[in-house]
Amino acid sequence: MSDSRSALPVRLLRLSVAAILVATSLTASALPAPQEAANNEWSQWRGPDQNGVSAATDLPDDWTVDGPGQLWHGDIVGRSTPVAFDGRVCANGRLGEGMEMRETVACWNAATGERLWQRSFNVYNTTVPFTRVGWGSVAGDSETGNLYVLNVDGWFHALDELGRTVWSYRLHEDYGRFSGYGGRTGTPVIDENRVLLPVINGSWAEFTPGRQRFYAFDKHDGRVLWVSNPSEESPKDLNIQAVPVVTEIDGQRLMIVGGADGWIYALQARTGNFVWKFQLSKRGINVSVVEADGVVYAAHSEENLDEGVLGRVVAIDARGQGDITHTNELWRATEIPVGFSSPMLHDGVLHVIDNSANLIAFDAATGRHLWEQNIGNVGKASPVWADGKIYATEVNGNFVILRAGEDGAEVLDTEHIEMPDGRHAEICSSPAVAYGRIYFTTENGIYAIGNDADAPIETWSAERTMPVPDIDAEVTSIKVVPADVVIRAGEPAQFEVHSFDVDGNFIRSRNAVWSLAGLEAEVSEDGTFWADPAIGHQVGRVLAETGGMLSAYARVRVIAAPPTVEDFNDGERPPHWVAAGRWGPMAEFDGENVLTKGPSPSGIHRHVTYTADASTRDVTVQVDLYATQEGRRRADGGVVNGGYTLDLAGNHQRLEIRSWASELLMMERVPFEWDMETWYTVKLRVEPGSNSTMVRAKVWRRDEAEPAEWTLEIEDPRALQSGAPGIYGYSPVNIYYDNYKVTANR
Amino acid sequence: MTNRKPLSTLGLIALTAFIGGGALRHADTAAAQQQEEAMFAGNFERNMISDATNLPSEWDVRSGTNIKWSAPVGSQSYAGPVVAGGKVFVGTNNEGLRNPDMPNDRGVMMAFDQESGEFLWQYATEKLTAGRVNDWPLQGVCSTPFIQGDRLWYVSNQAHIVALDVNGHRDGDNDGPFADEVHTSAIDGDVLWSYDMIGEVDAFPHNLATSSPLVVGDLVFVSTGNGVDEGHINIPSPFGPSFMAVNKNTGELIWENSDPGEDILHGTWTNPTYAVVNGTPQVIFPGGDGWVRSFVPETGEILWMFDANPKDSEWALGGRGTRNNIISTAVVYDNKMYIGVGQDPEHGEAPGHFWVVDITGSGDITDAVVWNRSGEDFHRTISTAAIHDGIVYISDLSGFLYALDAETGEHYWTYDTFAAVWGSAFVADGKVYLGDEDGDIIVLQAGKELVELAEMNMGASVYTTPWAEDGVLYVLSRNRLYAIETGAQSEPMN
Repeated sequence: MSDSRSALPVRLLRLSVAAILVATSLTASALPAPQEAANNEWSQWRGPDQNGVSAATDLPDDWTVDGPGQLWHGDIVGRSTPVAFDGRVCANGRLGEGMEMRETVACWNAATGERLWQRSFNVYNTTVPFTRVGWGSVAGDSETGNLYVLNVDGWFHALDELGRTVWSYRLHEDYGRFSGYGGRTGTPVIDENRVLLPVINGSWAEFTPGRQRFYAFDKHDGRVLWVSNPSEESPKDLNIQAVPVVTEIDGQRLMIVGGADGWIYALQARTGNFVWKFQLSKRGINVSVVEADGVVYAAHSEENLDEGVLGRVVAIDARGQGDITHTNELWRATEIPVGFSSPMLHDGVLHVIDNSANLIAFDAATGRHLWEQNIGNVGKASPVWADGKIYATEVNGNFVILRAGEDGAEVLDTEHIEMPDGRHAEICSSPAVAYGRIYFTTENGIYAIGNDADAPIETWSAERTMPVPDIDAEVTSIKVVPADVVIRAGEPAQFEVHSFDVDGNFIRSRNAVWSLAGLEAEVSEDGTFWADPAIGHQVGRVLAETGGMLSAYARVRVIAAPPTVEDFNDGERPPHWVAAGRWGPMAEFDGENVLTKGPSPSGIHRHVTYTADASTRDVTVQVDLYATQEGRRRADGGVVNGGYTLDLAGNHQRLEIRSWASELLMMERVPFEWDMETWYTVKLRVEPGSNSTMVRAKVWRRDEAEPAEWTLEIEDPRALQSGAPGIYGYSPVNIYYDNYKVTANR
Repeated sequence: MTNRKPLSTLGLIALTAFIGGGALRHADTAAAQQQEEAMFAGNFERNMISDATNLPSEWDVRSGTNIKWSAPVGSQSYAGPVVAGGKVFVGTNNEGLRNPDMPNDRGVMMAFDQESGEFLWQYATEKLTAGRVNDWPLQGVCSTPFIQGDRLWYVSNQAHIVALDVNGHRDGDNDGPFADEVHTSAIDGDVLWSYDMIGEVDAFPHNLATSSPLVVGDLVFVSTGNGVDEGHINIPSPFGPSFMAVNKNTGELIWENSDPGEDILHGTWTNPTYAVVNGTPQVIFPGGDGWVRSFVPETGEILWMFDANPKDSEWALGGRGTRNNIISTAVVYDNKMYIGVGQDPEHGEAPGHFWVVDITGSGDITDAVVWNRSGEDFHRTISTAAIHDGIVYISDLSGFLYALDAETGEHYWTYDTFAAVWGSAFVADGKVYLGDEDGDIIVLQAGKELVELAEMNMGASVYTTPWAEDGVLYVLSRNRLYAIETGAQSEPMN
C-alpha cells in the first residue's frame, strides 16, 4: 500500500492533502454539501443546488428596462444562461457581422458591469447558422477560477480567470462530435475535480456508431477521466442540450442526465459506471432533471412510449439499479409538454414551464396539479426561485417576476426587452441569481437587475474539491487515465490507473501491469507510452491489469506526421478515421480497391471523415474521385483541410471552397463543368499565416496532367491555424475515392 | 418549366361557374358528375368559411356537454378535419397504433364515421430512411386530403402523391391500378396509385412534404416541399420541381415547374389555390422564395408572380431576418389575393406582412398591392384568411386575430389569444372559431364588433382549423378528433 501511495502523481497528492484539510467536518459519505455555507453565487447551470433556487434576499419585485432596477447592461448577443462566481459574471454568446462573426465568451465585473475580458472564437466545420451560435452555457469553477465552455463547432475550452486557454479539445474533429444543425450545444458541469459533458458522437472502433456518450475531463489538465457509453440506441435527435445534475444518493455520487436517445441515465459521477436508466421519451431530452430526497423529476415534450400523447412530467425513485422504467416511477403528469425549460423545485413544489410558456406548479410528493399561470407564448428558459419570488424569461422578449401562492401565482412585473429596431429581443437565457442581483442574457445584451447597485459581492470559496479517500476500501473497479486520447506518434504519453470502491469513490492512483491491444508501440512499467512515427497512424487500447482480476483500458488514437498515402489496396477502411461510419466498403474498380461512399441507409448522405487529428496544419490534401448519376441525382465529393472544405458539386457543376456550411463567409465558388463517371483529382492546399490563411484548390481529370494554376484561391483574414484533414462526400448515389494523400507544404 | 403533356380533356370551364367570389362548399357537376368534394378550407379559393348553421358556441370536453363523439388519433395532428361522404378524414402520426401489425413511427391518414365517430380505416406509411431532413420524426401527415366522390388524394410523409379509395379495404374491393398492398384488412387503406416525388423527379422536401392537394378537372396540383439541406443554404435538388400537376386517375406527370430552384429560402410548404380571375382559370402556388406564382392549370405556363417581401428585406438563417417565406395559403376573393408571410414556427415570432393584391394583371404584379398590413401590426403567420361579409379574419403566429375590412384594410378589432396560433380562423354561422397552442378554441361573434362568446379548452394544442357540417363542428386537437353539436352529450372524460 505504501508502495502504491508513493506512485501517486504529485498532482493527486496535492489534491488529497487539500481535501484532508477541509474534510474533518465531513462524514465519510457526506457530500461537500453546498447548503452548509451560504453559497450566494451561481457558478453553473441551475445554481448552487442545481434546482433553480437561490437563497438570495432583497431582490426586486419590478424594474424598468433602461430605468430603475437595471444595474448594468453589457454587449453580447446572448442565447445562453450566464454564471456568476468569483465576483464575475460570464456568458457565452456571439458578436460581429460578416467576416467578424464569432462565438464570444466574456466576463464582466458582477457589480459594475465593467467588461473584464472577452474571447472570440472563429466558427468552422459546422452546419449551425450564426443565429444559433453561443447556445451552450458556461460553467465556472470557484476553486480554480476557470471557465468551461463548449462551442458550437465542438471546440471545448477551459479558460482561466483572464480568459487564457488552460486546455482545449476539438471534439468534432478528434472525437467525432456531431454538429447537428439546430444549434443546441451542451453545457459542462463541474463536479469535484471533473468537468462533465454529454457528447453525441461517433469516432472510431467500438465508438464508431453514433451514440449519446458522456465524458468526464480533469478540470485542471483536461485529461479524459472516463467515458461512459450506456446508450444502446442511435440518438433520436442531435439538437439536444440536457445538462447533468450531480447528487449523492445512499452514499453513491450520481450524475443524472437525459440523453439524445430519450433515456434518463444515472452514472457514478466519479467513474462513469452505469447505475440506472429510465426510458422517458421517444425523442431526445433537452430538459435537465432536478433531484431532492432521492427523487428525480424529469420532463419532456415529445412522444411517450406507453401512451399516444405528447409530453410528461415524471417523478422517479432514484434508488435503483439497471432499467428502472417500469419499477421506479412515482407519479406522472402526462400531456404536459415541457421540452426545453428545466424544472425548479422549491419547498416541495415542482415548477415547470411548458412549451407554450405556462408556468405550472405540482406538489412534488404526489404530482397533484396546484396551479398554472401563463407568462407568454413560447417557453424555452427555466424558472428561478429567489427571495420568495419566481423569476422567468419568455422567448419573445419578456422578463417576468411572479409571486407564488398556494393556489396561484401573481405576475408582479413583466418587462419587455426590444432590439434597437423595435423587434422583441429573443430570450433563451434563464436567470442567474447572485450577490443580490439577477443576471440574464438576451439577443440585445446581458442585463443585471437588482434593488441595490452597492450590494456587497460576497464570493464563495470552494477550497474543498475531493472527499478524503478511504485507502482501506475494497477496490471494485479501475480506470485508465486518460481514457480516450489522441497521441502524436513519437511523443511520449503517460497513463495511470485510478481505483474506486463499489460506490464509485476514488481510492487511489496506482500502478498496474500494462499491455497493448491493436497498437504497435511500447508501454513502460510506469505507464509511459511511445509509438514509433514510422509505423504511421494507428488505433488500439492501452490495457491495465491490477491484482484482484481488475482490468481497464484506454482508447488510444496515434497520429503520425504527414505524409499519408492511402491507396486502399489492402481492402480495409483505415481504422483510425473518425466518424467514418458511412464510409466504405471497398469496391473493385479496374482491378484496384477503391473507397465507396453510397446512399446512407438512414439519415443524410452528406458526411466528412477525419483522417488525422485537428492539430494538423500547413498541409495539402488530395484525392481522386469518381461520381455517379441516377436520374437527376449526382454526387458531390471533395476533401477537408485546416477548417476548409473543397466541394466538387455534381448537380450544381461547380467547385466551391467553404469554411462554415451555413454561413457564406469565406465561401468562394466557380462554375466547373465536369462529367459523371469520370475520375478527377481534387487538391486543397491550406497555408496558415499569422495574419491570414491562404486556401488554394484545383481539380483536373485524372488522366490529364495536373494544371499549373489553382482553380480557386482565397485569403482568409480569420487566419485559421489548423484543422483535421479528411474526405467529404454527398452521396445520394455512389461516389468512389482513391489515392488519398496528405502532404506537408514545406 | 417543363410542359410534359397537354391535357386532352378540360372540363375546367364549366367548373368555374360554381366558384365565383366567396364560393362555399363546392359541387362540380361537369368534371366530377355531382360528386361531393371536400378539401383544405372547403373550397378552391381556400376561403376558410362555411355556410353551415346551428353550430355550437359552447361545449365542455371533460363533462361531455355538447360533445357528440370524440376519437383518439395520433399524438400529433396537423391535417384536417375534412368531412365528405359521411366520413371525417384527418392526418396524424402512428402513436394511436390502430393497427398493431404496423408499428413504429409512420404518417397516417385516418377515416372516421361522421355520425358515430367509429374508426373506419387508416393508411399508414413508414418513415423515410433519410430521417428528419426529409421526413421529420413523429410529425405524421401534414397534408389535408382532397376528397372527390369515392376518391381521396393527399401527400404522404414519404413525399408521395397518394390516391386512396375513401372506403379503404372495408368495402372488400382492392381497387387499382395499384393492388399490391401488403395490409388489406378492413381497417387498412386502399391505394389506387402513388407518385414518388423524390424518386421520380428528385424533389428534396425540407423536413417534410406537406402540401394539401387540389383536384381540378383531371389534374391533381401539389407543391413538393423542395428546399435546403441540413446546412440550410445548399439546395441539393435545384432541378427538382417545387410545383407539379399529375393526372388524378393514373398519377401520370402532366407538368412540373422547378422555379424558384436555387432561390428557395427554406422549404416549400404550400397549398395550391384555384380560382377564375376575370375569366382566367389559374392555379396559384406560394413558392419557397417568398414569391407567389400563378399558372395556367393545364399547362403550367406562368401567368403572374408576386413578391410577398419588401425588396430591402433580408433572409437570415435561423429566422431573425426580415425576409420571410410563405406557409399560408393564398385566398382568392373578388379578384384579389389575400396572403400572409411567415416562417417555420421554430424561427420564432417577428414582424410579418399580410398582402391584398389585385391579381387581374400578368407578369410581375408585385406593384398591384391593394392594401397591406405589416410590422408590429401584423406578425409572421402560417394561417390562412377567412373572408366573410366584407371582413377578413386573419391570425398570426403571435396569437393575434385581426378583423379587417376586406376592401380597404380598415382595422375593426384585434383579439389576443395569448398563445401561438398555427391554424386559421374559421367563419360559419355568424361565428369565428380559432384554435391555439394552449388547446383553447375561441368563439367570437363575426362582425365589426369584437364580441367574445366563449373559450373552451380541448385538453391539447389545436394546430388545425375547425370545420363544420350539418350543425356539427369538427375540431382536431393534437391527439383527438371531436364532433361538437348543441344538445349532444358524451361520457365525461377523466
